[in-house]
Amino acid sequence: MKKERTYNDSIHAFGSVWSALVLLVLLSTPLLFCIRYDVWPSLSDVWNGLWPVALITYPTAVVEIVAYTPLLGSGGMYLSFTTGNISNLKLPCALAAMDTAGVKSNSEEGEVITTIAVATSALVTTMIMAVFVLALRPFIPRLTDPSSILSPAFKQVMPALFGALGASYFSKHWKISIVPIAVLTLIVVISGSIGTGVLIPIGVVVSILGALLFYKLKWI
Amino acid sequence: MDFREDSFMLILALAVIAFVLVQSAAFLLKAWKQGKRIGLSSATMKNTVIQSVLFTITPALAIVATVIALAPALGIILPWIRLSVIGNISQETAAATAAIEATGAGGITVPITDKTTFATVMWVMTLASSLPLIVLPLTLKRLQRGVKKAVSKAANPVLTDALAAAAFIGLIAAFIAKALAGVGTCAVDADGVITYNYDGAGLLSVATLISSVVIMLILSKIAEKHNVNWLKNFAMPISMFAAMGIAILLTQLLPESIAHFEFRPPVVS
Repeated sequence: MKKERTYNDSIHAFGSVWSALVLLVLLSTPLLFCIRYDVWPSLSDVWNGLWPVALITYPTAVVEIVAYTPLLGSGGMYLSFTTGNISNLKLPCALAAMDTAGVKSNSEEGEVITTIAVATSALVTTMIMAVFVLALRPFIPRLTDPSSILSPAFKQVMPALFGALGASYFSKHWKISIVPIAVLTLIVVISGSIGTGVLIPIGVVVSILGALLFYKLKWI
Repeated sequence: MDFREDSFMLILALAVIAFVLVQSAAFLLKAWKQGKRIGLSSATMKNTVIQSVLFTITPALAIVATVIALAPALGIILPWIRLSVIGNISQETAAATAAIEATGAGGITVPITDKTTFATVMWVMTLASSLPLIVLPLTLKRLQRGVKKAVSKAANPVLTDALAAAAFIGLIAAFIAKALAGVGTCAVDADGVITYNYDGAGLLSVATLISSVVIMLILSKIAEKHNVNWLKNFAMPISMFAAMGIAILLTQLLPESIAHFEFRPPVVS
């Protein structure tokens, strides 16, 4: 008997096709530029620029894929990794959406809600960027200039975003929250400029281990 | 005309943007149909869309600010393309800086006038971010199976809930720790003049964080107690905007030395 194709199977096929298409579009941008202007950078220059960054971004990408898989559904994962700005936008947006809708990640409902949230967020971000870049270009530097009245708000987007997002989790799971916040703050005190991309996987592991320990000790 | 912002670059950007929009709309449509199939109400899905729109506005503006920050060297179009596909704020800045340094063309604030240097930067930024597109389709299905197995092994619903919450909290804790103790950055120009970015942990970051948490808790309580459905959806964006408003207010009201006080001395970026 032919096995029925599930939504999960179809979203993986869908996501794989789109990933390949995005890769094609992505690589064609510099290629078309080179063809149009007949300029061909030396491989050594590209390599010298690439390796110090890739040394960080490639392992980070792998760690991010592992860390975000339990949080985002399949559709949310494919779309987040092709549209970018995951930790600072797509992931918190998906978490907030699941929280409000009262659904859990790794459930059928969670899969749908995260995909809708990430897709909406990607559409809005892309449109906002296009509008600002095309229409409001002359005004943007004034809005984001350090002397602008709005400047402090732009600098504090992350504390505002994660404070609001964390509030309900902290109040519901305050015991679990103490360990990761304390450990990560200590790490940042020791190494102040450590990247958020490195901190997130550490935070997820510390938090899960802490929760397991508390469970074993019957504190939660 | 500046080749970094000419009509050819604009056409490239518009093609990429159109592609991203079509892709996102296709995923949205597919998820919506599946939602209907499994019995999710239209109201719940519509609320998700509205909440996500509101949630996205401010972080999207912060991303626009990164595009502006990269514009002096790269023009406005390339950062716009890069931050619309895969890119993220820190990675694109790092890739552009490393590529410019590799070609010996100066720094991220110096306009690139050589097309070959520009092409080098384009390739580096593209290649630095494209790995997930290869890794994800190859690994995601297997990873998810592993997660499902781990969850079913945990079996106990109390433990499963606690572990799911712990994963979220671990992620959020990274940003909280940065707001509590992160080191800010500054730039030093050729004359030795220091420009502070005021992006480290200090009075403003802690005040914004606490305000955001407190406002969110109050609004959630009100929404729950009086069963105000619209407030449940809007509590998060309202808390975010209000906390950022408080940051602006504090900067205006407090003496500069207090408002811009950071716990640790900034490092040169």
